Amino acid sequence: MIRTLRALAAVALLGLAAVTATAQEPVKGGTLAVVLNPEPPILVSAFNSAAPIGVVSTKVLEGLLTYDFDIHPKPSLAETWKVSPDGKSITFNLRKGVKWHDGREFTSADVQFSAMKVWKEMHPRGRSTFAKLLAVETPSPLVAIFKLAEPSPYLMSALTSYESQILPKHLYDGTDIAQNPYNNKPVGTGPFVFKEWQKGNFVTLERNPAYWDAGKPYLDKLVIRFIPDAAARAAAFETGEVQLGGFSPVPLNDVKRLEATGKFDIETRGYEYLSPMFLMEFNLRNRYLQDKRVRAAIAHAVDRDLIVKTVWFGFGKPAVSPVPSSLTQFHTTDVARYPLDLKKADALLDEAGFKRAGDGKRFKLFLDYLPYGSDYQRTAEYLKQALSKIGIDVEVRSQDTAAFLKRVYTDNDFDLTTNFFYALPDPTIGVQRIYWSKNIKKGVPFSNASGFTNTEMDQLIEVAQVEHDVKKRRAALVRWQQLAAEELPVLDLFETKFFTLASKRVQNHTVSAEGVYSSFAQVWVKK
Amino acid sequence: MKAFVGRFARNRAALVGVAILLAVVAMALSAPWIYPGDPWDMVTEPFLAPGTNAEFRFGSDMMGRDLGAGIFHGARVSLVIGGVATAVAVLVGVTIGAVAGYHGGRIDRALMGLTELFQTIPAFLFAIVLVAIFQPSVRTIVLSIAAVSWPPVARLVRGEFLSLRSREFVQACIAMGMGDLRIIVLHCLPNAFAPIIVTGSLMVATAILTEAGLSFLGLGDPNVMSWGTIIGAGREALRTAWYVATLPGIAILLTVLALNLVGEGLNDALNPRLRNR
Repeated sequence: MIRTLRALAAVALLGLAAVTATAQEPVKGGTLAVVLNPEPPILVSAFNSAAPIGVVSTKVLEGLLTYDFDIHPKPSLAETWKVSPDGKSITFNLRKGVKWHDGREFTSADVQFSAMKVWKEMHPRGRSTFAKLLAVETPSPLVAIFKLAEPSPYLMSALTSYESQILPKHLYDGTDIAQNPYNNKPVGTGPFVFKEWQKGNFVTLERNPAYWDAGKPYLDKLVIRFIPDAAARAAAFETGEVQLGGFSPVPLNDVKRLEATGKFDIETRGYEYLSPMFLMEFNLRNRYLQDKRVRAAIAHAVDRDLIVKTVWFGFGKPAVSPVPSSLTQFHTTDVARYPLDLKKADALLDEAGFKRAGDGKRFKLFLDYLPYGSDYQRTAEYLKQALSKIGIDVEVRSQDTAAFLKRVYTDNDFDLTTNFFYALPDPTIGVQRIYWSKNIKKGVPFSNASGFTNTEMDQLIEVAQVEHDVKKRRAALVRWQQLAAEELPVLDLFETKFFTLASKRVQNHTVSAEGVYSSFAQVWVKK
Repeated sequence: MKAFVGRFARNRAALVGVAILLAVVAMALSAPWIYPGDPWDMVTEPFLAPGTNAEFRFGSDMMGRDLGAGIFHGARVSLVIGGVATAVAVLVGVTIGAVAGYHGGRIDRALMGLTELFQTIPAFLFAIVLVAIFQPSVRTIVLSIAAVSWPPVARLVRGEFLSLRSREFVQACIAMGMGDLRIIVLHCLPNAFAPIIVTGSLMVATAILTEAGLSFLGLGDPNVMSWGTIIGAGREALRTAWYVATLPGIAILLTVLALNLVGEGLNDALNPRLRNR
């Protein structure tokens, strides 16, 4: 008996030695300064999907699940879960002993309230993600059962703290949720407690000593600073004023210089959950663009490798199909390709009957670009040059974001636009809105602006919404991608690769597909 | 005229200004021959430092566009925008100033009130607002610059006309029964030319700077390569490739300096009181 114990102890010691050899022991304490731009309008993501909110709110509030790099669900506020064989019922067993920051118990009533009153009614994407959710049953304070009218296989990948955030029912029930004062001073269950928001300057969060994951978080304090100018953010990193920033916080052409100092990590993982896709939308109401051959010619005239390499300094991956390659279960490369081929492009345009005039031009199109920065403008400048080579005269129009969204999504007064969409972990959540004819909705930003209507596509999309069989669902999604590549209502240019810039002293900052939307309970700073 | 040229030529600084200005105009005119093709074309590798490649002596920007082509073609854009905006502003300013100064009274008060209204808004901010509202294009930029730069001309012309109005030759014209328009155009205006030309030459410089400032802030016409466009794009790369923003910056500096020197030379040469200095 004693011998076995000794042997066990020896094995345990060896194991411990192996662990310390590979990973350092986290150091407790310290402050981490995170830089963020723009400043979020509120600090709660439960009903507002604006990207900057997520960086702050996910530290204070939590979701039912979290996800690893392959978007496999991991426990968070739900410890275990079970999907019924018919896919119409999902049971979540909630974590015991979790308390809101004001001391109240977290229960299944909070889950029920958040799902039915907040996500399903108010969240821009939640409205379709939870469309089939009929009710959340709460047989006990620690069990929440989602009852669905039809299977919603994509729902299990939408339960992060950013996409589906759980709000405290006792502070929100019966109030005007969108105007609730706690949106600016959030009360959550997460590793950090809200302390102060000095508008235009910073948000301070402090360690939650009663966090359910005992021993975490490691940091004492988290400060999120708002610095609007990209060059000033780079300077703040160099002086050590801030130590971490997500969503490519410095000018892309500055990255090499910062990397050469040896003081920073440039981390491109952690955006797998968002999987942003940069694309060009064609307005199919345009007399030239309604011809599939014209769209194919444009696709053949654009060098996607060059866009990634020169315009985006390598921070991207040329796109193959509308579903990004990071969504490994759904992505396919078995689609029509349009390699750079100016001769073929010319031939296609001639065939479509749009011959070059005396000055070498065929026709004119306007290009409106999403005005998110100089990289976006340079992409438009490149596309103008590329299309001029095949006789298409492009005039670039610049405008502010509000005018852009109105022009494209409300007035449909555009020919070509460049834009990016979050594909998110499931095509039904992120990609569907671009191709579904039911998503031709005036005034809804980031929907089907091209006016694409295709019966087969609609059927495939609707199959993917309810098909519970993994194989059959993948088959529908593969055909969807093939059809999208044949019809080309939008031209997928490249998968945007955001990066997180962090001081080398900051440890464990990117541990899952959620990246800077993770709780940061695991983050620690080397002394 | 001969006397004027002689007086102007005595001013060395003004001659330097004329030389630089002629060089810039020559750049603008020769751009299509020296740099045929589009300045937006990506012709070489990005971030080529000036002087490292014989084919692209001025280097290249972050997209591999030839900076030399950008600066030469940019000269055309900057000069055209500066010239046209100034012409429009002078036309508006002279009309309003002449009418106000010649007629005086209620018309004068109303027109000067309008002028002051425009003058109370900081010019560059007003230009930003106008371009942002009407969306950037060469036309809106020219009109916005003109809209913010006519008030000084109007005030100047009004002052000249107020004094000319009481001169004997004008009174004589009125007594002879000449029409207002004829008096304004044929008799008053030629006598007010000198200060208008001096102000106009300085306004071209301001207009070029304003256009560069707008492009720098991303409010330039995205289809047109101006000096400001290159600076605006090169600003983010200042730490890694200083020359992208610096070369067109030098071009603007020299052009604006030249216009100021010429303006001052004109002022000296045209001002009768300084004739025998």
